[in-house]
Amino acid sequence: MKALIVIPAFNEAENLRELLPVLRETVHCDVLVIDDLSQDDTAVVVAEHGIRCLSLSNQLGAWGATQTGIRYAQLHGYDTVITMDADGQHLPLEVEALFKTFSSAAADVVIGTFPSRLSRLKKMAWWFFKSLTHIKIEDLTSGFRLYNHKAIEVLSARPASMLDYQDVGVLLLLLKSGLNIVEVPVKMNQRNDGKSRVFSSWLVVLKYMVHTTTLCIANIGAKQAK
Amino acid sequence: MTNITILIIGAFLSLTILYLVRKGKMHGPYATWWLTVATVAIILSIFPQLMDWMAARLGVTYAPSLIMVLAISMILLRMLTMDMALTRKEQKIRRLTQKLAMLEDKINRRD
Repeated sequence: MKALIVIPAFNEAENLRELLPVLRETVHCDVLVIDDLSQDDTAVVVAEHGIRCLSLSNQLGAWGATQTGIRYAQLHGYDTVITMDADGQHLPLEVEALFKTFSSAAADVVIGTFPSRLSRLKKMAWWFFKSLTHIKIEDLTSGFRLYNHKAIEVLSARPASMLDYQDVGVLLLLLKSGLNIVEVPVKMNQRNDGKSRVFSSWLVVLKYMVHTTTLCIANIGAKQAK
Repeated sequence: MTNITILIIGAFLSLTILYLVRKGKMHGPYATWWLTVATVAIILSIFPQLMDWMAARLGVTYAPSLIMVLAISMILLRMLTMDMALTRKEQKIRRLTQKLAMLEDKINRRD
């Protein structure tokens, strides 16, 4: 099995300096960092660790960067992609847990979740989105995921390029394609520095809520391929 | 008087569009759309009774309100297709950006 770890990064030089050595030690698969037009020396730090780094020339956001990695994986014949955040929130040690669940359950996608990190506000938002869709996943935004070759196929295709966030839209697309999503509880760190991208300011939250609600409503009754 | 104004607007619009096409600042379907608008304006200014006839046919008692409704509908339709075009462009840009990053990586590794 050829696996690729994809890490989207925007101004994460400091966090990557801590994360990458640990990742190299604990996990024995290829690592790819996508530099989403960072202003700091993210790309330099990644290169220092002898890890491959793709640099985007336009800012595409977390999902656009992640998809770059997924397309890269498809192009280079990887059959599994693991995505994790650059801020140290996701622990390299827990990658093993994703693999374990993947091989034991008949899953196409494994999501590492840490339900207790959710604030009340987030829980309310998730409850709202789940009631609008047929998603039955606890933690919608967790970026700690494993995708198999079928999921890679779906997510590297054109329709996935129109998504703006990697949570609800991506999950809906995967479910629509008839893929099986499984969750596994994992340990997570508190964010080292910086806050959640999505839940940073009220205006951003509002934009995200409106945007995602539209997406959910538009997908009501969308056929689930078998 | 109004008819002459509309005629002038229609003529001016056509000339502007033709000028823009000539200078390469507008192309293909966009130019066609705007020229159609200009042509319709010119035709309606020459034969204003067309609108009265159509209003009577559609059961609209006040013809100018029919013009308004049709004009606003066309504008909304145009805006909708514009946003659809923008969405397509956005998708293309995103995928090109991703492709560019992958190609750059390939070139860098060859050196």
